Amino acid sequence: MTDGKPRVLVVDDEQAIRRFLHVALTSQGYIVFEAASGQEGMAGVVSHKPEIIILDLGLPDIDGVEVTRLLRGWTRVPIIILSVRGSESDKIAALDAGADDYLTKPFGIAELLARLRAALRHAAHPKGEPVFTSGELKVDLAQRLVTVAGREVQLTPNEYEIMRALVVNAGKVLTHHQILREVWGAQYDQESHMLHVNVSNLRRKIEPDPARPQHIVTEPGVGYRLRAT
Amino acid sequence: MGSDIHRNMKHDRFLPGKRFPTWTGYLFALGLVGLVTLLGIMVHAFFDVTNIAMAFLLVVVTTAAVGGIGPSILASVLSVGILDYIFVPPFLSFGPPNAEHAFTLVVFLVIGLITSSLTSRIRNQWEVARNHERHTAALYSLSRTLADSVSLDDTIRAIVGSARRILGGEAVIFLLEPAGKVKVYTDSPDASTSAAEIEAAARLLRDRDSQGLALAASHKTRYFRLVSAGKTVGVIAIPKTTAFTTDQERLLEAFADLAAVSIERTQLADQAHQTEILKATEKLQTALLNSISHDLRTPLVSVIGVLSSLQEERMNLDDAVRSNLIQVGREEAERLNRLVTNLLNMSRLESGVMKISRQPCDVQDLIGAALEQLAREANDHPIQIDAPANLPTVSADFGLMAQTLVNILDNALKYSAPGSPVNITARSVGSEVEIDVADNGTGIPQADLVRVFDKFYRAQITNNVAGTGLGLSICKGIVEAHGGRVAAENRPGGGTIIKVVLPAGEV
Repeated sequence: MTDGKPRVLVVDDEQAIRRFLHVALTSQGYIVFEAASGQEGMAGVVSHKPEIIILDLGLPDIDGVEVTRLLRGWTRVPIIILSVRGSESDKIAALDAGADDYLTKPFGIAELLARLRAALRHAAHPKGEPVFTSGELKVDLAQRLVTVAGREVQLTPNEYEIMRALVVNAGKVLTHHQILREVWGAQYDQESHMLHVNVSNLRRKIEPDPARPQHIVTEPGVGYRLRAT
Repeated sequence: MGSDIHRNMKHDRFLPGKRFPTWTGYLFALGLVGLVTLLGIMVHAFFDVTNIAMAFLLVVVTTAAVGGIGPSILASVLSVGILDYIFVPPFLSFGPPNAEHAFTLVVFLVIGLITSSLTSRIRNQWEVARNHERHTAALYSLSRTLADSVSLDDTIRAIVGSARRILGGEAVIFLLEPAGKVKVYTDSPDASTSAAEIEAAARLLRDRDSQGLALAASHKTRYFRLVSAGKTVGVIAIPKTTAFTTDQERLLEAFADLAAVSIERTQLADQAHQTEILKATEKLQTALLNSISHDLRTPLVSVIGVLSSLQEERMNLDDAVRSNLIQVGREEAERLNRLVTNLLNMSRLESGVMKISRQPCDVQDLIGAALEQLAREANDHPIQIDAPANLPTVSADFGLMAQTLVNILDNALKYSAPGSPVNITARSVGSEVEIDVADNGTGIPQADLVRVFDKFYRAQITNNVAGTGLGLSICKGIVEAHGGRVAAENRPGGGTIIKVVLPAGEV
């Protein structure tokens, strides 16, 4: 960081978007560097050493997923990808290739800032905070205790493991495969149905209104996210 | 190999089995008997008569094998007679008929009978096998020709040609077209298919029952259904000169099967080809839709981003930042508006409902209006306008013509490096007004100078430039709707000039 300001590299071929992000992010205390293509982006990572990268998937010269893969070959810098609606497979591909989170265009600035914060926080504390609080939900990983409004909630071992995975990655999206692999193991990464059932049960236990979840948010076609402030 | 078969097929009755016309058989019998008689006489002194009898037996057998039953009977009778007369005492006279002579005669006759019937059976079987071999070879050669044929026409021609060679008749093939019509294929130029024949074929084609070959009775022609996988693909008509033998029936069946499969194959190949074309067209349409959708959405990213930033109190934006953001949002919204306008104009042009309301337009005014819409983009480039004061007005729809200039200018600005100048010149040429927009950009490949006005055209070197390629084609549409024309040229020093020519004054 340069005097407490995180450095962010924005890689997008649209000048207007770069300009808007530059203005908005600078006003929030980021130092913004820009790149207009995949090549420029990769060069920018080397020369500017950003703490976080915002990467558009629809770059003209190299596919965004490929850029992610290449970057992950030598750096663990958090990458947030920008993608258009309707290309779920691209998002999943990018997340599998090592991207940390994604945003669908058009997006609101608040969402972007939240994702940036979550990604930076996770980069600083890979194992997550020992205690996670959001609204009335409190998860204490050290004591293996989950409470809602002070009342303890009984979770099955699988439900707890899912909760734990989400908490460790609070604010970041986790793909179905990532959760399945984390909780059940690599050979179960196709068992989406099992995951949905467990999440549904989990929601019933911790959400004030399971039909409109505030904590565990569904990322359509991609996975789940534990909302964090 | 093929032609040999065809030649031999013509001489169906002449079988190379060495069966001679009947009278030669008798001659042969006589000759052989005579020969052996002479030999017998010569060796009579040294040989026992039984051996001479053996020799005559040999004669009978040979005659039976070569000449058939008749000559063998002759040979038997002669042999016994000569044996008795010459070789058995009393010599040179017939002894009294006795049981031994009768027995010998009977034995000779029976042996002759057995031998000749055996050989004739062998010959028949040989004939049948030869026929089969010829038919198989013919079918094989047809199947090879058909395997090579690509189009339906090739296939039909091969079938009709082979029918002529193998079956000996001018075949006519009837196929059911998609529209329900019956199409007739024939190879001979003077073959006329009567309406009745077509009707008979059509009936067969449409008949649900497709078990095996159906034969429609007609005094002149035989009709066979061509059936592949239980489906009737066509009907073949063969002139019936004589009744078909069982062998020929079987050959016809095999032939019809082969023809049916082949016709179906070419029809399926045609279908597959059509499907390929359809798929390719769909892919292109999807790609275009994606491109347009992307172009429409991109400006919205900035607009929504900016608005959400302004909405977020937590962002604590100061006035300068706010103002900057609002500027970006505004410009992007305008860009979106231009794109939507282009798309609307495009679809109006396509469907022919473009309404032009003409008024006298000042060219300077038009240029000014266009530049105002592109204020921000124009900022990065020095723009030089050269339009004389006394330029005649053009009769045009102001909005549409301004839009045209916007598109042309947008291109010029997009495809040239920031800082490079753009020159707009207007002058009067005869009864027309010409407006040129010249840039110092990448230029257009010579071959594409005309294509650049096609819908969705993008030049090869468009790495970092956004857009779907509609702009210039809309220009062309609008200008031509005004009775003008537009063309692209490459500048000698690099860059492009777009020239718009419009009729001057009131129209």
